[in-house]
Amino acid sequence: MRFLIVLLVIGTAAAQTLTGRGYLEMRSYFYPQTASGDSARAVAESVLNYEAFYRPDSDFSFAAGVEAQTDTHAQTERVFHLSSLDRGLRRPPFALHRLTAAYHKGLLNVELGRQIVRWGKADILNPTDRFAPRDFLNVIHSEVLPVTAARVTYGGQTNTLDLVAVPLFTPSRAPLLNQRWSGAVAEYPVINLPSRIPGGTQFGGRWNHIGSSGEFSLSYFEGFNHQPLIGGAVVPGAIPILAVQRYYPRLRAYGADLALPLHWFTLKSEAAYFDSRDPTADRYLLYVTQLERQSGEWSFIGGYAGQVVTRATPVPSFDYERGMTRAFLGRVGYIIGPNSDLTLEAALRQNGRGYLAKAEYSRAFQGHWRATVGFAVIRGSQSDFLGQFNRNSFATLALRYSV
Amino acid sequence: MRGWIFASILAAVVAPVLAVAQDPRQIIEESQKRGRAASQTYEGLLQVTDPGGKTTEKRWVSQRLGSFGASKTILRFTTPAEVKGVAILILNHADRSADQWMWTPAIGRERRIALQDRSTRFFGTDFTFEDLEERDVDQFDYKMMGEDNIDGAKCWRIESTPRKTKSSQYSSLQLWVRQDNYVTARISCFSKDQELRRLNYSQIENVQGVWTARLAVMSDLKRKSRTALKLEKLQYNLPMAEDSFTVSALERGQ
Repeated sequence: MRFLIVLLVIGTAAAQTLTGRGYLEMRSYFYPQTASGDSARAVAESVLNYEAFYRPDSDFSFAAGVEAQTDTHAQTERVFHLSSLDRGLRRPPFALHRLTAAYHKGLLNVELGRQIVRWGKADILNPTDRFAPRDFLNVIHSEVLPVTAARVTYGGQTNTLDLVAVPLFTPSRAPLLNQRWSGAVAEYPVINLPSRIPGGTQFGGRWNHIGSSGEFSLSYFEGFNHQPLIGGAVVPGAIPILAVQRYYPRLRAYGADLALPLHWFTLKSEAAYFDSRDPTADRYLLYVTQLERQSGEWSFIGGYAGQVVTRATPVPSFDYERGMTRAFLGRVGYIIGPNSDLTLEAALRQNGRGYLAKAEYSRAFQGHWRATVGFAVIRGSQSDFLGQFNRNSFATLALRYSV
Repeated sequence: MRGWIFASILAAVVAPVLAVAQDPRQIIEESQKRGRAASQTYEGLLQVTDPGGKTTEKRWVSQRLGSFGASKTILRFTTPAEVKGVAILILNHADRSADQWMWTPAIGRERRIALQDRSTRFFGTDFTFEDLEERDVDQFDYKMMGEDNIDGAKCWRIESTPRKTKSSQYSSLQLWVRQDNYVTARISCFSKDQELRRLNYSQIENVQGVWTARLAVMSDLKRKSRTALKLEKLQYNLPMAEDSFTVSALERGQ
């Protein structure tokens, strides 16, 4: 920890090798409707994120970053502490967002510590992105969480082998059960039991090939699903209580992805088959295919995400990737000017039982500031992954100061 | 008689030189040859002026290994703060269009810029992704269009049209190459008969033996906006490692 403090405090003393970046963001959500078990119509959040990078020579580099958060809706723990593994149901007030030591020599790169690891090529959904848990306290506005990992990358421009080992598990932060993004209509009062965090090292490998006409990857993952299955039991009494516990089943994933620039569009596709020895976990294939095009100030991404289940179990889960499959997904971006842009996103279930439409207008000003306004409309039936959030349409306003 | 012989000798010596000089392909080749360096690095100040006259600034650090044809370039933004760390890798090829990847730290992944997407403006500037490529001499056909003066310097005006190996948003380019030092002074970019963009080079200086324009101003004639790129802390021939110019190095250099 002393290392982190030193990195963050010494500032610009060694300007040649020490750099940093960060931001303070304040974001508010305004919900026109109350939801089951959650009467709040406005939620405000703020996050302070800063990362420092120190490179003493060309072979070694170090990075450290912290994230401080708070909000008005009890989504952040109120007991002040610094979390290094970020395993809680709520956000920690201070999280170790990054702490890495990296060594680079020739084609070899080794990075140890708290870091973000991203796999996959698609933009609308990433079935192969197995080392990237997310904060889903707002399901349709999620952020990737870092993991504690050892990552070894070997290769040049054409072929790269990426090996990752994660000895300490970090789960995705699923929606809080007593808040609107749980989507549940509670028949009983709900209590959250502490999650069952699995032990044991997760590991995976990915081979990426870049050719002149396209690129593709093959990947393998052995570990745990970072999105939980949800066990529950009704505790009888004068007022019955539903006791809920999240657990993370073992998971093995075989994945592939490709990006193929064609004459008019770039085709991107990604698929993974998920196998599990846990009898309460499903076995399934997730796949996504998208077309992408930029033209002038416009960018277009549109595609389909699908799912084939080869073993179904009745255990409920929170699984964003599976929830967003069997759907058409799209995104349109328009650059209005050097400082402003507009983004539209949509997801439509193939059976028509749920849809999501999002729009955001963003404008930068005075060098450091960016203001974003937007809204999201969610409609559908309660039995649909998207539709269950049909009372969670919102307007949002965010202000970010970056350094 | 002596005068005729002298004139003949002069003609014999000078005429091929003039003929070479008048060959547009060889002018471009000579221009590129004089700009060659083992490497180049500079800090770029980008001043983007929108159609309303408002100017915003961005900065990047550019590192280039090699020259033309097979060069490799990484541009890494340093300001404004919200794009700090965003980087683009450009691998130029002698026989085809360049490959480009962009790394965005906020999403933690790189993205290949497809060929058909290169007409997109680069990060709100008036440069497109294609404009960041180096234009190798063999990917174009050339035609001499005449001579002009640019900023008081006599220039050859040369039209270049992309060959089939070069996919481009532009149907042709017109280049003004200074006759005194072979530095390109202006490039006009056409789609059919319409001039879309104009790139003016100025503040031409000899830096470590390489004549270099320290200021490049790209004007988008349709939007009526412009981007000025000033080259600061320019240095040539610094040692650079080949493996710093790969997709995985994009992430490493954040």
